[in-house]
Amino acid sequence: MRPKPDQPLDLKTLKVWKITSAFGSVFYGLLPLIYWGLSRIWTFLPIWPTYALAVLAFLFALINIFIIQKLQWNRWRYKIYENEIELMYGVFILRRVIIPMIRVQHVDTKQGPLFRYYRLASVTISTAATVHEIPGLTLEKADMLRDHIAQLAREADPDE
Amino acid sequence: MNSWKRQHPAAIFISFLSSLKEIVVSLIAVLIFGQTQAYTSLFYLIFFSAILFIALYSGFVSWWKFYYNLQEEELLIKKGLIFRKNRFIRKERIQSIDINANIIQRLFRLVELRIETAGGGSEPEFSLVALKREEAQRIKKQLLKKKTTPISHTMEHEQHIATFPHAEDESMFVPDEEHDSHNVTSQTIVSDDLIEEREEVEEQVDFKWELGTRRLILAALTSSGVGIAATFLAAVVSQLPQLLPEWLLDHVIGWFVHSSILLIASLLLVILFTAWLFTLVGTMLKYGYFILKKQGNDIHISRGVLEQRQLTLNAARITGVRLVQSPMRQLFNVVSIYVESAGGGTKDEDLSTILVPLCKRNEVKYILEQTVPEFAISPNYESLPKESLRRYMIRLAIPSLIVAAVTTYYLPYGWLAFVLPIVGASIGFAQFKTAGICHNEYMLCLKTRTIAKTEVYLPKKRIQDMSSSQHPLQKLDNLHTLSVSVLTTVLGKTFTMRHVSHEQMEKSYGWYSYEEMKRE
Repeated sequence: MRPKPDQPLDLKTLKVWKITSAFGSVFYGLLPLIYWGLSRIWTFLPIWPTYALAVLAFLFALINIFIIQKLQWNRWRYKIYENEIELMYGVFILRRVIIPMIRVQHVDTKQGPLFRYYRLASVTISTAATVHEIPGLTLEKADMLRDHIAQLAREADPDE
Repeated sequence: MNSWKRQHPAAIFISFLSSLKEIVVSLIAVLIFGQTQAYTSLFYLIFFSAILFIALYSGFVSWWKFYYNLQEEELLIKKGLIFRKNRFIRKERIQSIDINANIIQRLFRLVELRIETAGGGSEPEFSLVALKREEAQRIKKQLLKKKTTPISHTMEHEQHIATFPHAEDESMFVPDEEHDSHNVTSQTIVSDDLIEEREEVEEQVDFKWELGTRRLILAALTSSGVGIAATFLAAVVSQLPQLLPEWLLDHVIGWFVHSSILLIASLLLVILFTAWLFTLVGTMLKYGYFILKKQGNDIHISRGVLEQRQLTLNAARITGVRLVQSPMRQLFNVVSIYVESAGGGTKDEDLSTILVPLCKRNEVKYILEQTVPEFAISPNYESLPKESLRRYMIRLAIPSLIVAAVTTYYLPYGWLAFVLPIVGASIGFAQFKTAGICHNEYMLCLKTRTIAKTEVYLPKKRIQDMSSSQHPLQKLDNLHTLSVSVLTTVLGKTFTMRHVSHEQMEKSYGWYSYEEMKRE
């Protein structure tokens, strides 16, 4: 049995995810607003769905921010071996990915404005066909990891 | 030889005619959708003659300002009147070279040369639309020519690695003799005189395979494009009422209302039959004169009756082989073979290249042996655990059950829709029966079915990553979905195997992993 990867993301990442999804939740709030607007135009529409939608949107936002993000953060694990990288993530659908070092084409770190504020960065790993991401490590760790993977990828023997 | 050249002046007309084709299409669209009478015919006349003039003028400019220059190691291209653009296409970067001739080009006895390069970003393709056939052949040969001296050969090899990091893996698959003989052939090609190129090409062929008339007809008869053609025809038929005069329309509708269900059914049959005829002819024209040749490490595919295509692929760049069998073709025990390659795919073939449109199932191994030897294997598929049968059947039956329930509620005779879940479940059963997975030392083989049966052969060296996923329902039975990605034209392609057992997943991981894991 293959051991599961054991490295977690940085704890501050969860905070950023919560903030981002809180911003995203504003869009759910638009739904009851739109319905309310429509009910003003087409007066035959009943008014109660506005409140129902508002409550639903609020509940959904709460679940998303406080439960889903937490679950997602808890699930996220990665591990860098000498010859490959393994990732494990997913809330409802659990995914595990293996990327051999010799297939790694390049590694980047990137930051959005929120990540910059919290001194975080994500590491993206590109193969010839796909791109994978480790979302959310401290800046120092991300830089270190990037250089480490690049180093291992360079050393990986293509004749293997 | 090393000078700037323009294309044949017919390029003006070729680009003019192809833009004319687009205009005609938009004209038809305007006629069908824009039924307003607000515009006068004079407006139309001015509008379209202006477009025609612009098309002709831009065709002229793009010919006038387009130069190419064939060098020893690269093809240089200059183009553009206002926005000048220079392009260098380096030999080692070239993935595939296509020579096409559609009807317009054949009118002028010209061909189009299309060059595809690796990782070109926004513009991986490049084409010269009007060249004499000899000129196109000369460019193609020059660009495909390998260096001869041993020193430069290794140099080229290194560059080759640089552009395509793990491309030299193929030395693992190809036996050494093959490699040597390849070098010999390329040397002879170089030393041969340019004038005798046609005969020389004939001589150098290592393997040749022709589709032949019998197989072409069978391919056309069993082609599955009928559905697409039928929808197209139906769309055209549905647009007809707008074009017909009113009295005729009334007449037709009256006739329809009075006619029996039998008549409507027969009309439907006629539409289907016509659609089938269209696909029949289409397939014949597309795959007529299909010839597959292997020459050293290059695979040459030429095909087409009206639009002739000639494609050259590097065997070492092939990342996967796919065998596809629609149920009808399964009945005749014939398959089509597609290859995935870094470069060279066409959009209408799902970004793959068709290697063999149709052959007997038992010929596959021989053909692969002759063209891409490392893929010539006979996999021993391991079927999926019995728990996954339920998943396959439920996945198709449940949605159609819902549809059936809804239609029963709302439509008369809606209960007939309960055939759907039964059909769904039986397709699911067939999918489970077909599904199989197999690994040998260096190859992963997956056998799946949606409607058509597909077998994929993927070398370990070509697989870019492997992933597994499990959703909550799969977790109940400890099943997993396995996916692997390989490089193809433009993007990667992911192949997925649904509902494999935990052991099969672990085994696949163990097979693919480059890390020595401690075994328990």
